Amino acid sequence: MIEIGNVTVRFGGVVALSGVSASFAQPVSGIIGPNGAGKTTLMNVISGFVTAESGEIRKDGQNLLGLSPYRRAHWGLRRSFQKEEIANDLSVFDNVLVQIDHARQPASKRHAEVERMLEYVGMADRAGRLGRDLNKFERRLTDIAKCMVGNPKLIMFDEPGGGLSIEETQRLGDLILGIHDQTGAQTLVIDHDVELISRICSDTLVLDFGRRIAFGEVHAVLADPKVKAAYLGTEEVVE
Amino acid sequence: MQRNLFHVTPSGWAGLAFAAFAFLVIPAVAGQLWLSVFTSASCFALAAAGVAFMYARLGMVSLTQVGLMGVGGWVMLRLNHAFHLPFEINLVISGLVTMMCGWVLALPALRLRGLYLALVTLMAAGGLEIIFATFQFPNGGDGFWGVKTGSAAPFARPWLAQTPEAYLRYTVLVVILGFLLIEAHRRLAPGRAWALIRRSEAAAMAAGVNIVLYKTWAFGISGLLGGVAGGLLAGSLGLLDDATFRASESVMLFALAVVGGARYWLGVVIAATLFRVLPALLNNWGVDADISYVIFGAGLLHAVITAPNGIAGQIHDLFGKRRKAEAGEKGAGDD
Repeated sequence: MIEIGNVTVRFGGVVALSGVSASFAQPVSGIIGPNGAGKTTLMNVISGFVTAESGEIRKDGQNLLGLSPYRRAHWGLRRSFQKEEIANDLSVFDNVLVQIDHARQPASKRHAEVERMLEYVGMADRAGRLGRDLNKFERRLTDIAKCMVGNPKLIMFDEPGGGLSIEETQRLGDLILGIHDQTGAQTLVIDHDVELISRICSDTLVLDFGRRIAFGEVHAVLADPKVKAAYLGTEEVVE
Repeated sequence: MQRNLFHVTPSGWAGLAFAAFAFLVIPAVAGQLWLSVFTSASCFALAAAGVAFMYARLGMVSLTQVGLMGVGGWVMLRLNHAFHLPFEINLVISGLVTMMCGWVLALPALRLRGLYLALVTLMAAGGLEIIFATFQFPNGGDGFWGVKTGSAAPFARPWLAQTPEAYLRYTVLVVILGFLLIEAHRRLAPGRAWALIRRSEAAAMAAGVNIVLYKTWAFGISGLLGGVAGGLLAGSLGLLDDATFRASESVMLFALAVVGGARYWLGVVIAATLFRVLPALLNNWGVDADISYVIFGAGLLHAVITAPNGIAGQIHDLFGKRRKAEAGEKGAGDD
């Protein structure tokens, strides 16, 4: 259970998030909203890259806001970025291994886990390839494997389907759906692709101008007139 | 799958072959003057390896390296004249002192990047230049600074390397150890962390990398190499001159590491050769050694315009293309 409690973030005079609250209990949940709604800001607050003015974020009783960003990763928080952050001069294997370098485990156990996750995402045969030689989808797959190693508790994907083809997005969705069975982690997905969100997420939070405008079962939320208005705008009849 | 710590790449084999050549052949054939030049070049290669790895692996520019060599040299001379400890112990202490200096330099690096970080390190080099010019290097005098007028007190070289030939071999061996230290780091957790920091600090933090620890670590290693290089230089000459450790020399060493190719061992060797051997060669030919600055400038323009990975990068790419072409031909032949 991820509990986001009354989170407010200001950048000078701009209120990026205004008292946002939500409790995610499903294995895969979504956060959607138009551009500038505050989705990535919320993800940055959870990651520790942005400091919230007030509020709290709890997962299984642990208040994440008290931890520095790298300690949140040690605790079990994983995230991907809109642009896949894969080091060009490291191999696929090393790009994943870096996530659990801090773990107090024998090297053989860490290596076995990396191999297992690369197998899961379908990158095991390209484990020795350098980051610079990967295409966009391979970089995204490596990113997913990286998020899955080291017993994660919460994984967040920021627009993972951006720039991918329909088939690749389909495959990506299948992989994200399997994360909970593989690792036991809860997953939060931000994406503009409503089709992807409605396929893989059980519930979703909708933000607009930093405010929560809807939260609940994904299909019900997408049918909500307020959500439609946020995405499509409202009709204004001029007489 | 993952690269073994002891796996030797083709570039690694070439490096080992060159190291064997530098260890066995050069000391055997070089005259007295050239032994001194090559020893000095080896010391600067070790120092250049420190700045090169910081730039290539973390994208951080440090312009204090020659100043740190001066600190290492100062400590080495001070210890030599004050105590009668073995050379190796003095060398280790010199390296540890400059490693700590590196940690202090890392403090601004935690907040600054790019040009601003380079400027801060340049200011540190400027400060060291003033200290060296004011207090000079110990030469066996009394007091803390240990400076006296007249001839310098004798310097105790390593027991194993009393002659110039043996000292060059000794220096080459330490330089090889320095290169191996960097390579081992590159292949282990610090290398992975540095690669990710270079890519994006946010991504590194999200991967659980302690940015403060690993940046400080990198500065410490660079400082260690600089200090050991300075200690070896002090051992080569027996005394040091403040003109060797001007801030401009640190800028020059960094620029030559870029010209040579900061990502490769060969680039560091090229940098040290241009820095120390080329001026000596010009002098030997009766040409003004300042011509070397013109050559350095042309080399820098070449690197900026056509060779982002330096001369060594171009050579590496050339061999890479040849290997691929050969593999292609073999594949076509198999068909």
